[in-house]
Order: sequence, then structure tokens, then C-alpha cells
Amino acid sequence: MYLKSLGKSATQAHLRSILATIPDALIIIDEMGVILSFSAAAEKLFGYLEEEVAGENVSMLMPSPDRERHDGYLKSYRDTGVRRIIGIGRVTTARHRDGNTFPIELSVGEARFDGKRVFTGFIHDITQRQQAELRFHELQSELAHVGRLTELGTLASSLAHELNQPLTAIANYCEGAAALLDAGPDAEQLEMAREALRDTAEQAIRAGEIVRRMRDFLSHGETEHREESLSRIITEANALALVGSREHDIDVQVRFDPDAERVFVDRIQIQQVLVNLIRNAIESMLDSTFRSLTISTQAGPRFLTVSIEDTGSGISETLAPQLFQPFVTSKQGGMGIGLSICRTIIESHGGRIGFEAGDDGGTVFRFTLPKAEVE
Amino acid sequence: MNSSDTRLVYLVDDDAAVRRSVGFMLKTSGFKVTSYETGVDMLRSAATLKDGCILLDIRMPGMDGLEVQQALQEKGVLLPVIIMTGHGDVGLAVKAMKAGAVDFIEKPFAKETLISSIDESFQRLSRKEATDDRKKDANMRLQSLTPRERDVLEGLAQGLPNKTIAYDLGISPRTVEIHRANLMIKLGVRSLSETLRIAFAAQGE
Repeated sequence: MYLKSLGKSATQAHLRSILATIPDALIIIDEMGVILSFSAAAEKLFGYLEEEVAGENVSMLMPSPDRERHDGYLKSYRDTGVRRIIGIGRVTTARHRDGNTFPIELSVGEARFDGKRVFTGFIHDITQRQQAELRFHELQSELAHVGRLTELGTLASSLAHELNQPLTAIANYCEGAAALLDAGPDAEQLEMAREALRDTAEQAIRAGEIVRRMRDFLSHGETEHREESLSRIITEANALALVGSREHDIDVQVRFDPDAERVFVDRIQIQQVLVNLIRNAIESMLDSTFRSLTISTQAGPRFLTVSIEDTGSGISETLAPQLFQPFVTSKQGGMGIGLSICRTIIESHGGRIGFEAGDDGGTVFRFTLPKAEVE
Repeated sequence: MNSSDTRLVYLVDDDAAVRRSVGFMLKTSGFKVTSYETGVDMLRSAATLKDGCILLDIRMPGMDGLEVQQALQEKGVLLPVIIMTGHGDVGLAVKAMKAGAVDFIEKPFAKETLISSIDESFQRLSRKEATDDRKKDANMRLQSLTPRERDVLEGLAQGLPNKTIAYDLGISPRTVEIHRANLMIKLGVRSLSETLRIAFAAQGE
């Protein structure tokens, strides 16, 4: 019943020669899913000869759950005429004769053949492409991690300083409480000692928070895209980036657009971008008399924009065009990898990053992120 | 409590928890404590400060500890100053000692460390006239050092890290460490701040 037996006209001979030579696997099935034709490339890809699969249900070439559901898909199309894959194509999984599955890109078409409806499926093996992409993502996430290590290196002394405050408080509260207890305290002194111990606990938690933020930031982990709250991401990153900057008297303004809240991102990586941009902004303002940092979000139709504006020294015209290139820096002792990693991260999230001169001589960095789709 | 022997500490730190806890600990150790959030607050009441010791955080928004110290001197307030530093602020602390601070202590500090610095401050307060003696004493102690040890001490007094001193003298950092340990033994001191106090006393204030 398969094509070979359909007739011997010149058109069919022509078709046979195409089937033998096209580089992609081509499978033709009838309305019920029965295989009519199996090209030479398909034979190679699936490990079956045409003779072996012709007349069989095409679902034998699929792993579960498609294997069990494919007849249903066809029936649904026959009944409703609603196209779910025809003319659209998609990435899915196929099953080799040996039972192994592999990723494919499948494009399905519909045709009339001798008055009967048939479906044509072009199948392209994308195992190698997927491996390359996977490796690319791994490299990207490793790079981002190295970036975070570098970033934290520059933050280390500020973090140590920040940790010393609660530790100093703890030591002194404890010594004070001990002195009160040693002296054979009266009721009032006992209450003071108790209060000191409660304050101690509060300071221990304060120290723990600092450590937690640092550890989260460094966490190695796979990249993990999740639906997240943009305002929470920014608030946490801001807390980390502002460590040790209290003495610089920076006026920090944060403005959240309530419509720019849900994003689908890797939280740590976006925080890495934010920490980098905020630290840069702070550094650029150290010589300014007026130091103001404004972080804001804004919703657009498809993208959310995050802006970080400083009143710093601005970016020189010579540096500006290549600012996101690796190993370009205006900082003494800077490696020039921070912003290039930021760009890699934002672009891998499907967004864009850029900057422009601010109104008061500073710089505004902006990046966009796709909105999380609301179910 | 008898107010005339209660020793007074003026505490300046921008961190509320540090201010509260250090104040609490000092009060339970028998000191009277007046706290200020900023150097500006303390300077405002500079004219009315009684004899006491000033405990000053080095990193603060607005005026930092060094600036407060300088402003106090300009106003003629010559009370002894102890500097509290955070991690890695040794360079700043050395500057503060050069400018006349009695001591610097690194946060977080042991109670005994702070108390002994305060004791030293009050001794200084009670014998302002003894500066000459201290200079003589310091110079005598420095006599015992080798020229190389003096070079290393000179570097330390400039607030330089071991590595830089080693580079400047053309010796290894390890050798600097050995000289540093030896000179501290000869001077009979246990901390960098004590070492510096002798070095600065010898230079004369």
C-alpha cells in the first residue's frame, strides 16, 4: 500500500528519487497514522528499513506519552480541523529502533494524494545542536559565577566591616550582661541583663542575614529560571550592593512600578547584574558633591525596564562605544569583565542592556526583561 | 555611685546597636557614658565636655573619625581619643595615631582590650606633663633595635602593609615579619598599636 506500490508514473519515479536524496528524514503517513513512505535519511535516523515500518502506525517512532496519544491527536484533527502542529512545527522527541530517544525538530505538512489526505513529516535531528546549546548555557553560567566571585572579592572588605558591627554589639552586650549577673543583681538589673540578651539575639540574626545574602549571591547552582518578584530581586540586590556605602552619604531612591512585578528569570544572575550596576554607580559618584542613586522599574507592553541612575562622573566618549566589550575598563585595577557579563546575562534572558547620559551629568543604565506570561 | 570618681567616656558611632551595646558594657563596668550618633553632634557640645576619654568610630557618614579628631583639636579639645576601626582599616588607624590618638582597637574587640585602652587614656589625662618622660623612655627603648628593625618600624609607622615594606627595603615579606616580631619583643609590646605608640612618642608630639 506504500508509495512504491502506488504506481509507476514519471511523477512517482521523480518523487522516489527525491525521497532517496533529501538530507532530512521524511515520513509520509495516512489519515490514520499508518506509514506510507520512509525516506533513506529516515531509515538511517531511526534504524528501520522502509519495508519494516511501512504499514505500521507512526507512533512506534515516538516515546511515551506521544506514543499512546498520537492516534488521539489525529482523530482530534480529523474531527475538529484545528491545526496544532501542521504548518507550525515544533521541537519534540523521537525514538530510535534501539529504544534510545533523541531530540528532533518536526515540521508537518498536509497533502492530497490520489484523492486521499496524507501528512508529511520532515524530521531534523538536533542532538548536536542541543548539546552545543547546553554547553553554551553551562559556559554562560560558569562565567556568571566567576563574575560573582570577582564582584564579591571587591565587596569582601565592606562585608567584613558590616559583619563587625553586629559582632561588636554581641560581644559588648554579653560582657555587660555577665558583669550585671556577677554583681548579684537586683530585679531591675536582672531585667537589664535579659534585655541585653534579647538584643544579642537580634544582632546575631543581623549578622546571619549578611552572611545569607553573601552565600545566596555566591551559590553555584544550575541556572534556574523561575517566576520571581522583580521588586524583591531589586530590594535584596540593593541591600548587598549598598554594603559599606553608608559613609558615602548616598541618597538612594527606589521606585517600583506596580505593573512591573512578575518576571521569569534566574534570580541570582539578575541580582548579579544589579549589584554590578549599583556598585559602578556608587563608585562613579565618590567624587561628586551631590550623590543620588535612583533605581526604578517600568512596565511596557512586552518588556519590563529597570533603570539605575546616578549623579556620577558620567562615561567618557572614548569609552562609551565599547563599554560592554570584555576587558574594557575605566577603573584602576578593574578587569573590565563586569559589564560584559551583565550583557551576556541580560541577553540570555531575552532582554537588552544599554546606557545614556543622565540629566545631571551622571549615567542611566537600563535593562529590559520579558514579562512573565500570566496564565 | 560617687560622681566625682566616675570616669566619663564619650562614645561616637553611627551604628545604633554598637552605640547601645558598648555604652551598656561600659556602664556595667562603672563608667559614665555619653553617646553621640555623629561627630557633628559631639562637636556641637565640645565646649562643655568634661575630662574624659573619647571613643571614636573611624568609618562614619558625614565626618569620619579622622575628621572629627582634627576638628576637636582645632577647637582646643585635647581629651584622649581611642579609635575603633573595622576590618582592614589599619592605614587609617595609623593616621589617627599619628594625629595623637592614644590607641586604636579593631572591631569586634574584647572587653579587656577596650578597658585597658581607656585606662591608658585616663593615665595620660592625669599626666599630661609626662610627655617628655614618655619621649625619653620611647627613645631609650628604640636604642635596642637594629637598623633593619628601625627601617621596618618606620614603614609600620607610615601605615604600610608588610608587603610594601618588604618591596621598599628589597627584602622578602617573610623577613619583614621576622623583623616585626623581633622588634615587638625588644620593645616589650604585644600589639601593633602599642608599637606605634612608642614610635610616635619617640618622634615627639
